[in-house]
Amino acid sequence: MIYIISIIAAVLFMLFIIFLVRNKKLNEKYSILWLIFGIMIILLAINYKLLDVVAVKIGIYYAPALLFLTGFIFLIIYTVHLSIVATKQNKDIIRLNQEIAIINEKLENKD
Amino acid sequence: MKTLIIIPAYNEEKCIKKVVDNVMEVNNNVDVLVVNDGSKDDTLIEAKKTKAKVLNLPFNLGIGGAVQAGYLYAYKNNYDVAIQLDGDGQHNPKYIEEMVNIIKENKAEMVIGSRFIEETGYNQTFARMFGIRIIRVIMKIFTGKKIFDPTSGYRAVNKRIIKKFSENYPYDYPEPDTNMRLLKEKVQIMEIPVEMHNRETGKSSITPLKSIYYMIKVTLAMLICVIEKRKG
Repeated sequence: MIYIISIIAAVLFMLFIIFLVRNKKLNEKYSILWLIFGIMIILLAINYKLLDVVAVKIGIYYAPALLFLTGFIFLIIYTVHLSIVATKQNKDIIRLNQEIAIINEKLENKD
Repeated sequence: MKTLIIIPAYNEEKCIKKVVDNVMEVNNNVDVLVVNDGSKDDTLIEAKKTKAKVLNLPFNLGIGGAVQAGYLYAYKNNYDVAIQLDGDGQHNPKYIEEMVNIIKENKAEMVIGSRFIEETGYNQTFARMFGIRIIRVIMKIFTGKKIFDPTSGYRAVNKRIIKKFSENYPYDYPEPDTNMRLLKEKVQIMEIPVEMHNRETGKSSITPLKSIYYMIKVTLAMLICVIEKRKG
């Protein structure tokens, strides 16, 4: 049952991401990781036998926990990715701020 | 030598004019640039009453971003020497000439106005002295050099360092970090003793509560310098 819910949730989630991209609320660049995430969950849920095997092999005795673990690891990676994006944007904004100040100074001195 | 004095100012309406006038009185062939770092008070208006050039940052960046704007300005306008000096009147401008001369004679690429080479009558709290000692020790361990006053915001640099700073400068608590980086790159740094006034108005940007964060951030930043990839 949990696998069927996972698949439905993942499909709805992917549709939502596609909807956001279509409406330009989300950059395609950031949608890719989310779509991969959705596909991963679906694949794991469909191959739940595989999931069971892998789970036992790595010492997880409740197979769906492997599903959650996968999702959790993915979320951490994605959050770090967002921190990197934020750092770059912060840097760019600071440089823009400085350049604007310098241009303004030049303009004011011309008058 | 085309010389620029960079004065970062955040909410310094009460003394910025006095600071600029003091600098210009003592030194007549330098340009002064006030960087108004998104002040909420009338710092901009007060700065414009002086003969200084004024950079008005559209919003507050913090000390590092403000000073870097000054270095970027110095780089774009082809200055040979840039000196940064706090906007609160702590730094006595009478040392500027000596600093410029050291750069001019190529004795060092950076000159730091230091409070601690000699007894200069600047009141230090125990906690601050302790923090500075830790910074000194870290620098000594990783670079083999000692800087007496690694947190001083009174510094002069030559053209090459102006370019470096305009490209890359830490956004907060920049002094220990940049000193460490330059030492690592074997840049010649010289310290001269300066007398510092205890601040006249305004508050230090470092409150007691923030000082723990300060030490962690600065230590981390210096250690990152050690492992950092060299650029260029």
